[in-house]
Parts: sequence; structure tokens; C-alpha cells
Amino acid sequence: MAAHHEKRSLTPEAFGKFLRWLSVDDELAVREYQRIRTKLTRFFIHKGCTDADDLFDKTVDIVVGKVESGAQYSNPLAYCYGVARNVWYEDTRERKTVAIEFDVVSFEHPDPKVREQELQCLERCLTQLPPGDREIIVQYHAGQGRDRIEARRALALGVGGTNVLRIRMCRIRKELRICVVACIKRSLN
Amino acid sequence: MKSDVPDRGLVREYLLGRLDHKTELEEQLSHEICFNDDLSQMVESVEEEIIEDFLDGRLDPADKDAVDGYFLQPPERKEKLRFARLLRHHFEQRHDPVNTRRETFDSTNARFDYRPANIGRSHFRTYGELAALLLLTVVGLIYISGIRKNQARLERQLAQEREQSTTVAKESQVAQASMVALTLVSDRSRGDSTQIPHIEIRPSAQRIAVDIALPGRSPGPLDVMLEARGKNQPVWAGHLLPVVSASGDARLVFDVPVQGIRSDVYSFVVSSSLPGFGRPKHYDFRVTLAQ
Repeated sequence: MAAHHEKRSLTPEAFGKFLRWLSVDDELAVREYQRIRTKLTRFFIHKGCTDADDLFDKTVDIVVGKVESGAQYSNPLAYCYGVARNVWYEDTRERKTVAIEFDVVSFEHPDPKVREQELQCLERCLTQLPPGDREIIVQYHAGQGRDRIEARRALALGVGGTNVLRIRMCRIRKELRICVVACIKRSLN
Repeated sequence: MKSDVPDRGLVREYLLGRLDHKTELEEQLSHEICFNDDLSQMVESVEEEIIEDFLDGRLDPADKDAVDGYFLQPPERKEKLRFARLLRHHFEQRHDPVNTRRETFDSTNARFDYRPANIGRSHFRTYGELAALLLLTVVGLIYISGIRKNQARLERQLAQEREQSTTVAKESQVAQASMVALTLVSDRSRGDSTQIPHIEIRPSAQRIAVDIALPGRSPGPLDVMLEARGKNQPVWAGHLLPVVSASGDARLVFDVPVQGIRSDVYSFVVSSSLPGFGRPKHYDFRVTLAQ
């Protein structure tokens, strides 16, 4: 078993240096930071990493070290991406010795009250979707077995093809997820 | 960087970790996903397709292993899977009362569908018919008695629930009277103007807790104004930084006072002078002041 990897977060000093490296304009620096963060955390998630945020912080730590040594890089995203790949390689080597245990059942929220709350929030968020999106998600989940396959096929034809439907469903689910998370946070506060 | 969009099959292999040992192909695709914005939405939809297949039990053993051992390792993906389950559960529940009734009816029939196993119908027809009649009477009585018991139990539960919900409602009135929650997920260009979100503001409310889901990639600080329909003067204005999750979803979370707000249609106008944000976005909602 590999040694337990301690989670750490980016220090405010390192974060400040990183922002200044991205741009002297605060607003542009924040915007560029968010863009790089989104892209690199997605990269780590795509690579099956268990803690994308931690790996992103490691990447920034390394980049800050390089920047402090006076190195100049014209394309921050491209440079950060190169560093992120090395961080990923290193993480892959460490990960190899860790036994993977995966319990599918544990996805169910253990607290029935939270689960109930989630369902209530979902119900509420569904009503807040634009009618067209709501109709699509309802039809997408309608029926069982063969009927469902046929219903989805008809739905895909209606919206312009299977890939269009997939991408639209992806967007609707994302909106719903954001809405449900916000709703639960509010109800728990 | 623009390039040919790879096919969904290749992206699927990539997301299942099968290209990790094909260095050149993996590097090329990772690079394209990182730098080609057009590709990222497609990658997300393939991700969801894998989750759907997993939930439907449509994965072959090799894919199932790749999903368990690679794809579902990040907590962000586990959360996506959990949400997909929640969504399915919700839509299945919508049909459940019918299914539950049918199952109960079927199982009741099965339970009471008693027949003597070794008696020939042709030789004991009369006895059989009498027995069936008797059985039917007994079953009917048991069934009616069961319904009455169930009804009494449900009435007791209902009374308890009512009592409980009255208490909860009183507690929640005290806790939440001063805040009204408003979640906005679609701006005017995407929504239906006839069906906009609606909130009711009670006299005890002091602030509106607003949560706006922003489309596309995360922007920088934004200008937010609250405007009444047809009025040029903003009711409220602020300069806010969105909250961005690890997966890149951006939201504006803030609260505004209810002073000066009347029963009308309002809009939060979100804009930015930063390049790339595009035109201001209007998030409409209707307010009713409760008496």
C-alpha cells in the first residue's frame, strides 16, 4: 500500500504570485486563473485522478517556483498544461500500488433526510427549467425498455439527431445539478 | 487551436483510460481537449453516455472494469453518477404509485390464489365450485378487513404527519421568514418569457437569496443590476465575483434587500466589460407581494 498522500492547499502567497504572473490587471488575472483551473482540473478528472484539485494546486506550486526563478513564458495555459502532464505522470506512478476499492452502493446518500431534501430540490429545480428543456428531460426518462429506446429515438429526431440530444441532455443535467446543489446548500444553512 | 473533431468512440476509449499506454495518441487528444473549446462539450456528453450505459447495465465486462477502476475514480464523476441515479429515481417514482398498486394487487392475488393441488377438477366439480365460492368469501372478508386496518393505520399516520408538519412549518416560518430563495438558471434568450420563475415575498421577508447559474466558461467579476420591467433606474446594483466549482461551473450567489420591490416582473442584468462575455444577460422573474 502506498503511503497516504496528505491533501494540501495552495498558500495565499503562492496564489498571489501566480495571479500576478498571469496578468498585472486583477480582473484579467482572476479570469485567466479560472480558465486554467477549469481546463486543468478537467484534464486530471479525464485521467481518472482521485483529487484533481490537489493536483492542480501542485501544478501551480511548481509553476510559481519556475516563475520566481525568473523564467518567462508567453502562453501561461500551455506552460501550466505541460507542468500538469508531468504532475499526472508522477501521480500515476504513485497510484499504481494503491489497491482500488469501489463500492457502487455507497453512491446512495446514507442520510435519508438529505436524500429526501435532494428529491425535493430536484422537483423544484425541474419546475424552474425552461419548458422546452423540461419537456425533453421528462420524455428522455419516460417509459421502460424497448418503449424508452423508441421514445428517445423519436426525441432525437425531433431535436436534430442523437448527438444533438446527448449534448442538450448534458447541458440540462448540468443546469439541474447546479440548481440542486444550490438548493440543498440553502436548505442546510 | 482548431483541429478535426475526433469521433465519440475514440473519446470514449480515452475517457476509459485505454489510450494511456498509447502515448502519442493520448498526448494529441489530451492537448486537443485542453485547447479546443468545441471539443470539451462533446467530451462531457460522452462522459454522461458512459454513466447512462453503466446505469442501464449495458457495459460489457471489459468496459465495466474500466469504469470501476478508472473512470469512476474521481469524486466529481461519482457525484455525476449519483445525480444521474437521483434523476432516474425521481422519474421512476413518478410512475411508482401505479406500479405499486399493480404489484400489491398482483401479489394479493398470488397470495390468495390457493387451489387444492391434487384434486381432479372433473371428479369434484361441485365441491370445487363450492370451495372456490367459500374461499372467495373468506378472501373477500380478509381483503376488506385488511383494507379497513390499513385505512385506520393510514389515518393515524396522517394525523401524526399533520401534527408534525404543523410543528415543522411553525419552526421553518420562524427560521426562514426573513429570506426568500430565488434560483435562476436560464437567461431571457433561452427561457420562455411566459413561464418565468416566480417568488412570493411575505411581509416578514427582508432579503432575497439569489443564485444565478452562469452559462459557458467561468468569467471574471461581473456587474449585476436588478431592474423592474420598463424602468430604466436599477433597484439594486453590485460588482460580484462568481463562485466557480472544480468542474468549471460558475454561479453568482448573493442577496438583495426586498425594500423597494413591488409585485412586478424584474430582471437581474448580468454584464461584463471583459472581452468574451458577450451581450448582457437578463434573468427574468416575477414577484408577488403577499398581503
